[in-house]
Amino acid sequence: MGLIDFIKRIEPDKEKQPFLHTLYDGFYTFLFVPDHTTKGGVHIKDGMDLKRLMIYVVLALQFCYLFGTWNVGHQHFVALGIYDDSYFSGFHLKIAYGLIKIIPLFVVTYIVGLGIEFWTASKKGHGIEEGFLVTGALIPLIMPPDLPIWILVLSVIFAVIIGKEAFGGTGMNIWNVALLSRVFVFFAYPTTISGDEVWVSGIEGMSAGAAVQYGWWETGFFNSIFEALGWATFDPSATVVDGYTGATPLTLAYQGGWERVTEVYTAGQMWWGAIPGSVGETSKPMILLGALLLLGTGVASWRIMVGMLVGAAISAIGLNLWGASPFMDVPWYYQFYMGSFFFAMAFMATDPVTASSTNRGKWIYGFLIGFLGMIIRVMNPAYPEGWMLAILLMNTFAALIDHYVYQANIKKRLARV
Amino acid sequence: METLNIFIKSAFIENLVLAYFLGMCSYLAVSKSVKTAFGLGLAVIFVLGITMPINWLINEFLLSENGVFGTDLTFLRFILFIAVIASMVQLVEMVIEKFSPELYTSLGIFLPLITVNCAILGGSLFMVSREYDFVESLSFGLGGGFGWFLAIIAIAAIREKIRYSNVPAALRGLGMAFILTGLMGIAFMSLMGIDIVSFTSAAQ
Repeated sequence: MGLIDFIKRIEPDKEKQPFLHTLYDGFYTFLFVPDHTTKGGVHIKDGMDLKRLMIYVVLALQFCYLFGTWNVGHQHFVALGIYDDSYFSGFHLKIAYGLIKIIPLFVVTYIVGLGIEFWTASKKGHGIEEGFLVTGALIPLIMPPDLPIWILVLSVIFAVIIGKEAFGGTGMNIWNVALLSRVFVFFAYPTTISGDEVWVSGIEGMSAGAAVQYGWWETGFFNSIFEALGWATFDPSATVVDGYTGATPLTLAYQGGWERVTEVYTAGQMWWGAIPGSVGETSKPMILLGALLLLGTGVASWRIMVGMLVGAAISAIGLNLWGASPFMDVPWYYQFYMGSFFFAMAFMATDPVTASSTNRGKWIYGFLIGFLGMIIRVMNPAYPEGWMLAILLMNTFAALIDHYVYQANIKKRLARV
Repeated sequence: METLNIFIKSAFIENLVLAYFLGMCSYLAVSKSVKTAFGLGLAVIFVLGITMPINWLINEFLLSENGVFGTDLTFLRFILFIAVIASMVQLVEMVIEKFSPELYTSLGIFLPLITVNCAILGGSLFMVSREYDFVESLSFGLGGGFGWFLAIIAIAAIREKIRYSNVPAALRGLGMAFILTGLMGIAFMSLMGIDIVSFTSAAQ
């Protein structure tokens, strides 16, 4: 009957064409429920399998993608000093520009990552694991919009092979795969991912009068469409305005505390996310929407999120009391307006594979991420933001925390015997 | 404050294993279970914490030009340091054999091999080249030992966790341990570069 018969007819032979069969199997289960069942004793709680779980996270990330697409364009035009009067002027240009930047990052990440996934699956002779769906959706959101594609390819290869496949595939990794890809870029190609100049895309430099870099997509493809519709078009002769630096709030806070930050950005701008930064981490409301979705479906652990909030708040209050540098004097509640705290909290720290798996362990794990991340952000002059490294550091200790929680429990129950 | 700073720095920021890659042999060989790793880690803290001040005294009062012999005997530094370390390890070995024979057998040859653990001698030589005073060298010894202890129990817990993972056959055992150590090194780089002294001096 129709589609399913056609799909069953084209099934490649498992022995002769293992790669094609793995590919076939992966896409078949996207469309239909597999007709073979698990044999042996399984304990089924509900119909929530790995694929549904992953899709919830990918859905939760869509708010960040929507906002990020607009914000990449918005920051580009703010640097040029056009359409910067309101968030909605030149809306079609901002969206078009954001799409030109984000789609290549997204497509390349998925092609490279899924390619490796398919290849290892056929090599090992098991079905495709869905692990890369979420990782691939996270990676473009935590990269600067202008990251050269070849660096992105290298970082994805590193993270997927060293960080995941070497450990035995999905669900076995110790460190968060998306963060490993970012940390690879961060240490191997630092100039492409830190400093003031990388967070705004499509301009040659930050000095006044620097020219824009438009390619065929802007001037050829979109301009001809917008001209036909009678809308405003990309202007290839635009230049960067006077006094624009592209500095992120964290850089400014390091230079001169909260006063220096508010000279350039308002608190509202930072909260809503109209600031330079990685593609998807700037807008706090959009991230919190995604976080609510994850909490509502039970995918993410609320213990880790609350623990991390408490840890970061305590750390920030402690640094306020110390007050040895302008950054330490930033009021603790304003620390949450800057940087990517909420993105790390909602999507990175709660990764169920790399976090602690016991309930008490989750509190400790979340708390320490919050506490250490704030210290790294404020006290380490080498790194502008601390959450990526704090999460990787606590991933290292997650297994140890679990070990001691188990031991304590064993001891407690032995005493009751 | 300076003493505390040296402790934190040697434990977390300049970790002997993950930043200098010292003491790798026992770190890789004894990290298969958390329990043994915990025992060896404690032994390393003790040996580092006690040999460092003793070696400082030897270096200051016997070997330097201002010492009791009045001549520069620093060419004897290596042999004297190793002698002190070896005798301390003997002591630790006897104590562990008396009080925990179980741990003694599971540590096996790696307990006497603490003598040639490069983290211990390396610590004493760092102490000389960085010109620490007596209290600072004690704090450096305890901090360095604590950092080593943290690193070995963390990797032991991870290795226990991945024991049942489907690791590719070629990487099982040491191959995986090397990848783990490298990635742990990246994770520990998070604290590298923090200079507490610059903040404390700014506050005063």
